[in-house]
Amino acid sequence: MIDSLVLGLTHGLLLLTAWRLIHRPDLDDESAPPPGEARQNRWGRKRA
Amino acid sequence: MRDLAFIAFLGAIFALGFRRPFIFVLAYVYIDVVSPQRMSYFLLNAFPISAMAVGFAVLSWLAFDDKKDTRVAPRQGLMLALLAYCYWTTTRADFPIDAAFKWDWVWKALAFAIFLPLTLRTKLRIEALLLFMLLSVATIIIAGGLKTALGGGGYGQLKLFVDNNSGLFEGSIISAVAICVIPLILWFTRHGTIFPPDWRVKTFGYLLIFACLLMPVGTQARTGLLCIGLLAVLMLRDVKRRMVYIGGAAALALVAIPFLPTAFSERMGTIRTYQADASASTRIEVWKWTLDYVKSHPFGGGFEAYRQNEIKYDKISTVGEGASITIVRTPEVDKSRAYHSAYFEMIGEQGWPGFALWLMIHLGGIIRMEVLRRRYWKTPPDQAWISPLATALQHAHMIYLFGAMFVGIALNPFVYMLVGAQIGLDTYLARKRAEEGMKPMNKRRDSPAPEPA
Repeated sequence: MIDSLVLGLTHGLLLLTAWRLIHRPDLDDESAPPPGEARQNRWGRKRA
Repeated sequence: MRDLAFIAFLGAIFALGFRRPFIFVLAYVYIDVVSPQRMSYFLLNAFPISAMAVGFAVLSWLAFDDKKDTRVAPRQGLMLALLAYCYWTTTRADFPIDAAFKWDWVWKALAFAIFLPLTLRTKLRIEALLLFMLLSVATIIIAGGLKTALGGGGYGQLKLFVDNNSGLFEGSIISAVAICVIPLILWFTRHGTIFPPDWRVKTFGYLLIFACLLMPVGTQARTGLLCIGLLAVLMLRDVKRRMVYIGGAAALALVAIPFLPTAFSERMGTIRTYQADASASTRIEVWKWTLDYVKSHPFGGGFEAYRQNEIKYDKISTVGEGASITIVRTPEVDKSRAYHSAYFEMIGEQGWPGFALWLMIHLGGIIRMEVLRRRYWKTPPDQAWISPLATALQHAHMIYLFGAMFVGIALNPFVYMLVGAQIGLDTYLARKRAEEGMKPMNKRRDSPAPEPA
């Protein structure tokens, strides 16, 4: 019971970490704009 | 059911790896620490998942990763030398079959540690690696901590998913590793960016630290208690109000004592009366045997050389009370007693040259982290994470090496991932300094221009 709960918790967090990582351009290239900025730009362009 | 969950999890991680190949490196780290194939009864143990992860990681690094200004640290060279040297001792080992079995995992740990820093090109990758290491080992620690808190545990009795006492699942090893990761957890509660430190991250971090501190209680491994002592001393280096910290730590220890199980207190009491304890007194005899052995075999006996030892020792205990106290010596004989110390493990198995290489790799890490800790001590806010991370990696390493005095964990893969992270941080910062044209990093680059008079 405890084992399954803990496996669920940590594996959920591991998966969430990996999910967040794939949305971070600075994982592979630090000169890439941070995600917040990129999204804002996209919004900006759409609005314009 | 659990098998299917593991397969779904690994499938998802591998799928994300095809989006961002660095995830394969993280997948290998996870598999190496948690060993899901050993918790599984079908399917998963039929696939070489570990080899698949490392294969994908290396191939994608070769094919896609940016290799501009790739730097190799001297310690990677030392690990390569140790790898070649261990291969040589394995070919002439006293117990070729047993040695080949250990070589089979040792070479992977060393080879991965040599490869790992090449992939750590960005700050986020270093952070991701450490977070994966922490969350993976947290699987074992949280389960162990919860069971301890609910009254389970005992020396060699705490059930940690896998029964075979291997990898990180052995009581003394996990209690040393659990304490050594505490400085890293603290770093994540202040400087993490994957999960920015808010109340949830801090709560999880502090609860995880509590679980880490429970591991030595649950496993009743004395090594863990000694590691906690070192951690408390190391943390003194960075606390602002030292006297308050010392008072707080002492008060916490006093409050904790009544809650500790009696069996734990009794076992920890044997740190002083070690002569009455077979586990501790055989260690000292094994260490004497190792030093004798290496006199005639300066190049070591290869992996598992301890199997040939035969140790005769007197177990000393006292009987009676008050004036009628007598000391009883009981002769005991033990065969094939393991080293129970990483230092003697290296001396006995790899001889003096192997021990020297090993020591250089580890002491080099501690020294390099000290250099980084001081170099980035006063930095602009965007570099404020560097010095604390170097310190956390250094403290983790020191606690591990301290615990390693009493546990044979010289070549445990976990510490080589830590070494890989240290080298990654070191080469990353060297690359950054080169990019900035060797500007001293401790000067504020963004300082405002002086106002005209």
